Amino acid sequence: MKYDALVVGGGIAGMESSLKLADMGYHVLLVEREASVGGRMILLSKVFPTLDCASCISGPKMSSTVNHPNITNLTYSEVEGIERREDGTFRATVRQKAKFVDWAACTGCQDCEVACTVAVPDQFNYDLVPRRAAYIAFPQAVPKKAVIERAGTSPCTDTCPAGIKAHGYVSLIRSGKYEEAFQLVLDATPLVGTLGRACYAPCEDECTRGDLEGTLPIRRLKRFVADRHYDQFAGPGLEVAAPTGYRVAVVGSGPAGLTAAFQLARRGHGVTIFEEAPEPGGFLRYALPEYRLPRDVVAHDIANVTALGVTIVTNTRVEDLAVLKDQGFDAVLIAAGTQRAIRLGVAGEHLSGVMSGLDFLRAVRQGTPPDLSGRRVVVVGGGNVAMDAARTARRLGARETTVAYRRSRDQMPAHHVEAVDAEREGVAFQLLVAPVEVLGDDRGAVSALRCTVMRLGDADASGRRRPEPTSREITLDCDVVIAALGLVPETDAFEGQVDRDAGGELGVDPTTLQSRVPYVFAAGDVVSGASDITRAVGQGRRAAHMIDRWLHGEPLDGFAALDDRVAVVDKTTVLARQQSFTHRESVAVANVFSSAPHDFSEVERPLSESDALAGASRCLDCGVCSECQECVTACPADAIHLDAHDEVVTVDVDTVVVSTGYRLFAADHKPEYGYGVYANVITATQMDRLLAPTRPYNTVLRPSDGKVPERIAYVSCTGSRDTTVDNPLCSKICCMYSIKQNQLIMGALPLADVTTHYMDMRAAGKRYDEFYEQAKAMGANYVKGRVAAIAEKEDGNLILTYEDIENGGVLTDTEYDLVVLAVGVQPNRDAEHLFVNDVLRLDEFHYVDEVAPDLNPGETAIPGVFVAGASSGAKDIVDSILHAGAAVAQAAAHLERSRTGVTREEVMS
Amino acid sequence: MTTDHEPSDSTTVAGESGEPRRRIGVYVCHCGGNISDYVDVAAVRDAVAGDAEVVHVETTLFACSDATQNDMIEMIESQHLDGLVVASCSPKLHVPTFRAVSRRAGLNPFEYTQVNIREQCSWVHSDDRAGATAKAIGLVRAGIAKTAHSVPLEPITVETTPSALVVGAGVAGMRAATGLADLGLRVYLIERAATLGGWVDRWGPMYPNGADGHQLIERLREQVATRDAITVVTNAELVAKSGNFGNYDVDVRVMSDPPTTQRFRVGSIVVATGFDTYQPEVGEYGYGIDGVVTLAEFKELVDATPGPLRVGGRPVRTVTYIYCVGSRQPDGHQYCSRYCCAATVHASITVADHDADVAQYHLYRDIRTYGKLELLYQESRRRGSVYMKFPDDTPPAVRRDDAGHLVVRTTDTLTEGMAVDIPTDLVVLVTGMVPRENHDLTSLLKLPVGGDGFYNEIHPKLRPVETVVDGVLIAGTCQGPKNSFESVASGLAAVAQSGATLLKGVAELDPLVVNVDQDRCTWCGACQEVCPYGAIDRIVCDGREVATVNALSCKGCGGCAAFCANEAIELLGSTTAQIESMIDGMLEGSARDEELMV
Repeated sequence: MKYDALVVGGGIAGMESSLKLADMGYHVLLVEREASVGGRMILLSKVFPTLDCASCISGPKMSSTVNHPNITNLTYSEVEGIERREDGTFRATVRQKAKFVDWAACTGCQDCEVACTVAVPDQFNYDLVPRRAAYIAFPQAVPKKAVIERAGTSPCTDTCPAGIKAHGYVSLIRSGKYEEAFQLVLDATPLVGTLGRACYAPCEDECTRGDLEGTLPIRRLKRFVADRHYDQFAGPGLEVAAPTGYRVAVVGSGPAGLTAAFQLARRGHGVTIFEEAPEPGGFLRYALPEYRLPRDVVAHDIANVTALGVTIVTNTRVEDLAVLKDQGFDAVLIAAGTQRAIRLGVAGEHLSGVMSGLDFLRAVRQGTPPDLSGRRVVVVGGGNVAMDAARTARRLGARETTVAYRRSRDQMPAHHVEAVDAEREGVAFQLLVAPVEVLGDDRGAVSALRCTVMRLGDADASGRRRPEPTSREITLDCDVVIAALGLVPETDAFEGQVDRDAGGELGVDPTTLQSRVPYVFAAGDVVSGASDITRAVGQGRRAAHMIDRWLHGEPLDGFAALDDRVAVVDKTTVLARQQSFTHRESVAVANVFSSAPHDFSEVERPLSESDALAGASRCLDCGVCSECQECVTACPADAIHLDAHDEVVTVDVDTVVVSTGYRLFAADHKPEYGYGVYANVITATQMDRLLAPTRPYNTVLRPSDGKVPERIAYVSCTGSRDTTVDNPLCSKICCMYSIKQNQLIMGALPLADVTTHYMDMRAAGKRYDEFYEQAKAMGANYVKGRVAAIAEKEDGNLILTYEDIENGGVLTDTEYDLVVLAVGVQPNRDAEHLFVNDVLRLDEFHYVDEVAPDLNPGETAIPGVFVAGASSGAKDIVDSILHAGAAVAQAAAHLERSRTGVTREEVMS
Repeated sequence: MTTDHEPSDSTTVAGESGEPRRRIGVYVCHCGGNISDYVDVAAVRDAVAGDAEVVHVETTLFACSDATQNDMIEMIESQHLDGLVVASCSPKLHVPTFRAVSRRAGLNPFEYTQVNIREQCSWVHSDDRAGATAKAIGLVRAGIAKTAHSVPLEPITVETTPSALVVGAGVAGMRAATGLADLGLRVYLIERAATLGGWVDRWGPMYPNGADGHQLIERLREQVATRDAITVVTNAELVAKSGNFGNYDVDVRVMSDPPTTQRFRVGSIVVATGFDTYQPEVGEYGYGIDGVVTLAEFKELVDATPGPLRVGGRPVRTVTYIYCVGSRQPDGHQYCSRYCCAATVHASITVADHDADVAQYHLYRDIRTYGKLELLYQESRRRGSVYMKFPDDTPPAVRRDDAGHLVVRTTDTLTEGMAVDIPTDLVVLVTGMVPRENHDLTSLLKLPVGGDGFYNEIHPKLRPVETVVDGVLIAGTCQGPKNSFESVASGLAAVAQSGATLLKGVAELDPLVVNVDQDRCTWCGACQEVCPYGAIDRIVCDGREVATVNALSCKGCGGCAAFCANEAIELLGSTTAQIESMIDGMLEGSARDEELMV
């Protein structure tokens, strides 16, 4: 694309520059970082000295800018780099940030804003109030279109192996949208209740709040919405796509198989699950103990699958895949899990009383538990099955239950919560021992387990210190030995049909999960080896997606359509986003443990609704958008696309106007003024919002208690004329905006006293000093002397300490209800990164340097590049307008010269 | 139909007795709360909702917002509106806005009417919500009635001349001239004095970076001279202007012997006539006493003295500056002259450069070294200048004591209000800028003058170089006090504005001019007599003498229409029918309100 001029920044100087160049007939590209043009002026209440409403006078300018036939606007875009070419023209790269909203379709109706469940500080109200993640910049935004802020994927969502939008459902729960939260999880897997209990919640390990007071109870929140749904609704409440006519066989009804079947059925495929056991559910039903995962929860989760028309054929073992093909199945998914327990491999394994952990747990859940009452049980192994077996043994009345593990406690593969809970329930741990023989009595029953004592040697390939045998042995007296050494797939039957490795794991493409036989896919532990439910769910989703595409003859990619995760957001960014976090305690875990548990009732207590709300409300909204999908549902124009991406465009221009504006001084850099610590110390930009027509509270209130302030102080030169903050410059605008606000406050709050503590009142400008006199005549007070410190009283009032210069220089304390810091101007240093192969020279204070301000204000060190407005130093609006005029006059001259081929040197000589 | 936007609320009314004559849309603006805090905008909407010609009426938070503009366009298109009434603020603010909206929607812009219920209702009747609301209803009814009688009008298009006249060749005018020439425009730069340069030409080093004023002007003179497009006329004054926007004919009288007059045709006029320095009265802060000088005199002295200053042959060991002489005076010039603080602070640094041992005392009210100029203030203090603030109501006094020594007595606020006598060798009265006496030019160009005596811009915030006279721009200090580089920026802004109107080659003028019904006209000449713009001529048409109007000269003031005994003159956009219907509408509004109140 080719334009005459590129204007960087759509504040008042940028708009003025664009409009004047466009009126001259030049084609202008205006790039604005925010979602609306207008810059800072549109956020003002009124302007000095005319007291014109800022909206009234800058609104039409914004509208003209956007509607001008010669101006192309790229809002919500950033100039990434400008290259100056040999012929003196420029090539600019502009990143159009993903808006996640199709602006051609968006009508600015704000339905998405209303639906959005995320609130973050509103930068356009200077953090006084929140805005939503889906938002229109401000009421007078031009163009009035919504964007969705996605700072990145939230760490919780990013880490979920099942691809569940953890941040999303937390956010929905916080908003009281429990059923929507359930549906969001259901969108990924039917096993909402199961994962609400038995997931090891890697999300909680990643939770940014975990770095503060402790993680959110993300898993338990899922359980909360699952319990609620199952309590209130009969079915999943899902619609199924029209039948495709395709049929898919799923071998195994564990988490991978159920999830895949569910996802395939939603897409309209006919799905039959073949399950070897008498009841569906796989390990959910037969391995996880009841006290961790009650059977009715599993039944509800499975009902989510069958409700979609999935047939589950039990008591049926599939061995020949070709038979399924012959029966009319178009595709087969093997999700058979890991059904074979690794044996102890020591002498005495045949003795009565030795059993595998899997067999033991299965027998218990099938209602045929071995009689352990009064017996001594040793469980060999350190994984979750070992913990489940040990805790189950406690419940069956075992007199002693000991876990024997060959490494140290911290190396146990079991989730640490499982091990801790086991301990609470009276399970003993015998660490650093490896069994060498099961000893039996004369009746052929177990009497003891002889073990070698181990010690930790050097680290092995997994990074864990390798256990090495010592010469010592111990013998653990016991009646029962439960071997929980691990599980492997049992896939002998598929030998010769699909690839298998030595351990029995099936060989499939790790991305597509397709086997060598095109119609055969495999997913879950049968592919990956023993993992956990959540990973198996993730595999099931992936398999369903790929099978669906394969059935439709589509290439096996596009998983991104299911998974619109973007780069994970950086936690330090999240923590830095808000100036202070409210301390929010974790929701307590209220589980009651017995050292001698006697039944299989569920150990974990559910969250109460108030705990769920409190717990979810602790969310820091790391990625901003939670991907809860509410806006997608709410948008009447179907304009929202969360899978949108940034787009980069390249443009050629002949001249560049830099109008990137200024930044405000961060008032917390003056700790003696207490900004961010004392609630009733605000900045003047915040006060301007309180006085604006679109003011957040419709009046001036002080933050701590919402009281209408009666005594208001202004502290001039906050961050200006102050070498302690490395800014010796005067900010030019603060005196005048303070005077303006003084007058507006006296109008809004006729009873309030307003006092400005100033150094020099710099009312230099046309009708400015008269404006100052007018404020004095209205009753505003002006006290000379810089404020030294501010202290807060218990009632939120503030004590200002200053030398009262005009009254003998007495050190004085004065109490106010509200203190307004007249914060100064800082350079916007983004400007220095605009140019890639040339240096946009800055002055010593990092403002864009003007090389010849005496005769060519706005001329920069790069020929053809001009600076307009506060990018080159603090300016008020009218000075920015004049400065923009100067930049435009020279930019246009540059354009005329490049058209006529006359160089600057020729003109100047 | 109802729109969803809070807090707007709308009603579209079907014609009750068949098709309405006109299809008018009405928007009643909250203006944030500027209007709705004091006017019940919903009541205004409801009051006119049933009117026969009103097809759609709604309230809106900001009528001028882009979103509402787009809503209006959609409404005009979908409801086939043939008239638009916007009840919001002053027409001065938004007539261009809503004319553009109309144009984008395919509605003739002159079938839109602006009703001012902010300045005329909410702002002036903030103590009387009911009254303000009733008045707003009447005004909106009048607006609807006027719109109902509107006819489509087309703007008058004129080709513009790609040239500009710059009046005054100080730093602003000269830089404007080179800037205009660089846009490809022809430039006539006229200067009353014999040479180009103005004030800056007389000065040596200037703040903020010590550039030498004289040398800057030298450079500008060269740049002017090398541009063929610039015609320089010195010893010259603008003596006549005729023609219209985009094509002014200007007469420039050159004070040669004998005086000659040259005529140029120009598209725009940049007035850059500069300032005068404030001249203290004798006795004002001791002015008239030997050793008491103004800032301008002092700068010339400093510039002319390479080493230590001397006055009356004696070395100057102490300089005392008294700030705000002639500025910020309740009973004199009330304005701040903006440039003088920094100029004085800068001068004190120059003095210290020349003579490090000289003592300098600055007696000030506020030191206004804004922005980066603050660095000068710091430098001055670092170099030994002492600053003493005096109370506004206790200015310093200058006298010669019995021994003949110059003494300044001041009250130093910074030292517990102590009275201080400063024996001094030189007193500098920091005098500011005053508007230049330019009565002839002012009245010739019909330039508006503000209370401070400087020329007034259209809008002090967003349109600082434009005036209410189309195509006549003001640059530099004739608009208000500025320093040199601010004057240059202002001159260049006038260049940009000229370019924005002249580079296209055509300009559009409002068609709101008078129209003579020549059948009715009997040529009495009254109209020609009252026309202040010379827009009315007498012609012979079909053997009869009648009046005719030059639409390019007519400003649409309507004075002639009021004087025409035969009612032969109509002001387009404010025809007699429109005015009468407006009065009816207004009366109807109040009559209904009275009914309501009973």
